[in-house]
Amino acid sequence: MSITEGDVAIRLRGVEKRFAGATQPAVTSLDLEIPRGQIVTFVGPSGCGKTTTLKMINRLIEPTAGSIEVLGRNVGSMKKPELRRQIGYVIQQIGLFPHRTIAANIATVPKLVGWDKRRVAERVDELVELVGLDREMLQRYPSELSGGQQQRVGVARALAADPPILLMDEPYSAVDPIVRGRLQDELLALQRRVNKTIVVVTHDIDEAIKLGDRVVLFEVGGVVAQQGPPGDLLAAPASPFVEEFLGRERGLKRLSLLTVADADLTTGWTVEAATPSSEAVEVMRANGLEWIAVRDDNRLLGWVWLDDVAAVTRAGDAPLHEFRAHVTPSTPLREALDGIVTSQTRVAVVIDEGRYLGMLTIADISESVGRGTG
Amino acid sequence: MDALGELWEYLSTEANWWGAQGIAHRTWAHVRISVLALAIAAVVAVPPAVVLGHVRRGGLFAVSLVNIGRAVPSFAVLVLAFPVAIQLGLGLGFWPTLVPLVLLGIPPIFTNTYTGVRGVDPSVVESAKGMGLTSGQVLRQVEVPIAAPLIVTGLRVSAVQIVATATLGALIGFSALGSFITEGLAQFDDGKLLTGGLLVALLAVATELAFSLLERKVTPWTQRRRRWSLRTLLASTPMAPRVPGRTTP
Repeated sequence: MSITEGDVAIRLRGVEKRFAGATQPAVTSLDLEIPRGQIVTFVGPSGCGKTTTLKMINRLIEPTAGSIEVLGRNVGSMKKPELRRQIGYVIQQIGLFPHRTIAANIATVPKLVGWDKRRVAERVDELVELVGLDREMLQRYPSELSGGQQQRVGVARALAADPPILLMDEPYSAVDPIVRGRLQDELLALQRRVNKTIVVVTHDIDEAIKLGDRVVLFEVGGVVAQQGPPGDLLAAPASPFVEEFLGRERGLKRLSLLTVADADLTTGWTVEAATPSSEAVEVMRANGLEWIAVRDDNRLLGWVWLDDVAAVTRAGDAPLHEFRAHVTPSTPLREALDGIVTSQTRVAVVIDEGRYLGMLTIADISESVGRGTG
Repeated sequence: MDALGELWEYLSTEANWWGAQGIAHRTWAHVRISVLALAIAAVVAVPPAVVLGHVRRGGLFAVSLVNIGRAVPSFAVLVLAFPVAIQLGLGLGFWPTLVPLVLLGIPPIFTNTYTGVRGVDPSVVESAKGMGLTSGQVLRQVEVPIAAPLIVTGLRVSAVQIVATATLGALIGFSALGSFITEGLAQFDDGKLLTGGLLVALLAVATELAFSLLERKVTPWTQRRRRWSLRTLLASTPMAPRVPGRTTP
């Protein structure tokens, strides 16, 4: 996928890094373009050079060859502090200043670049709200916060002076899976508001797929094995290495990228609650159904067994059973699939703001996955 | 008369307090030389320790220095400084006492400062650099403040040692609290002897307390946490040890 000139935020050309004493280069003649306003994830096994590559962007590590441009300027020609103040930086251990309050931690870069007090204070307030922290935490010290809260402060601090670029090095590796999931969702929500160029290094392929607009998969030696939108990697791995790294359940991983809206829905057999039961039974017998959904205009009431309908006068009088799996058009297909396999009726009902849209079956899902594979 | 009675009698005799040989004057002389020795030791030891800690080099040097400092008895330094001072024409008393006190004060300050700066969490330094702090800003705004409690601890250890050791100055003609002890021994005056001992002990304890207060003052963040955990303890809630950065919200 090619990117047009003005849309490149970070460009690496022939970048190489050899650490003193190492036989193999950590990064070998790497060419990479990172588009503006997107989240790009660097993923790969340990020792693949993903972190080294990230740190060469803000010059915490200097390349031995090649050039790196950030927003059109060669980073080698810029003073390090000047470069870094334009690039937010978040690391796994977060590295909050233990001797400063949360407010002072967040205000670090704005103060460095000389904002006046009022502007700094306003910005701190704004950021606290943006990353979802409690205002009363501002006067506390980092050691008084939980890991997840510290991570939010780390992000707020990195965004404080509104840098166009954000680099994140394994940002969620140290928090437990539940908090990690929540922080990932928060980052995605945050990105919809701030629209930064974000590079995230991770060793977790699921995280890379979930967060990345684009995924760059590294092989040992800083070689790009494959890059592109996560769906492309999953649909067509370029090599056995990529396939292996993506792991089993590639199909399921793709499902987590697609939503119910991407699938074609089955309308499903439904009857109005007021329909005479004889009529309903006729429809069911003619189509070999054991149950049927009952609706009241656009509202779905539930479903009834054939035998129960036969015993009453109107379809709606039979004992109603609730559908277990309710999904919306924005539900990931993977979640919808989970709902389907655990429900008695083997369907998920799709409801958008109370309006019944249709039903989703396993067949619908596998068809929508098959479509992209070619 | 018992010893405490003699001590009381010596202390309650007003003539013993004033004049060139009095308690007030000698206490002041003791404090003055201690403060001066500590200040010089700090000026000599802190800057190189901070810089070496910042560049994260010289660990072996720091360890060797503290070991030498511990091995050489301060009395030996005092005795050795004595002829040197005479040869240099600095005379008896003040100068030959000051120099060993300074030398004695350097190792704890150096080692604690070095350890404090060197021991700053590397991730904190990395994030500081990553945000665009210059090397000097990292040093001043991050490393030194975080190392401050240890630096103050070094000063405290040195100060207490200096105050205690300044007593020995009396042996080479430095008139301070130690003089009450040497004179008390020579004159078989137990009251005077005990007065010297008591005042030195009080001064050392006062020094210790003063630096403990200073330590709290320079580390508001640990103090807050202390208070916080005290409150938690009072609420008697059993809780798991807090590991920063690993807990969930």
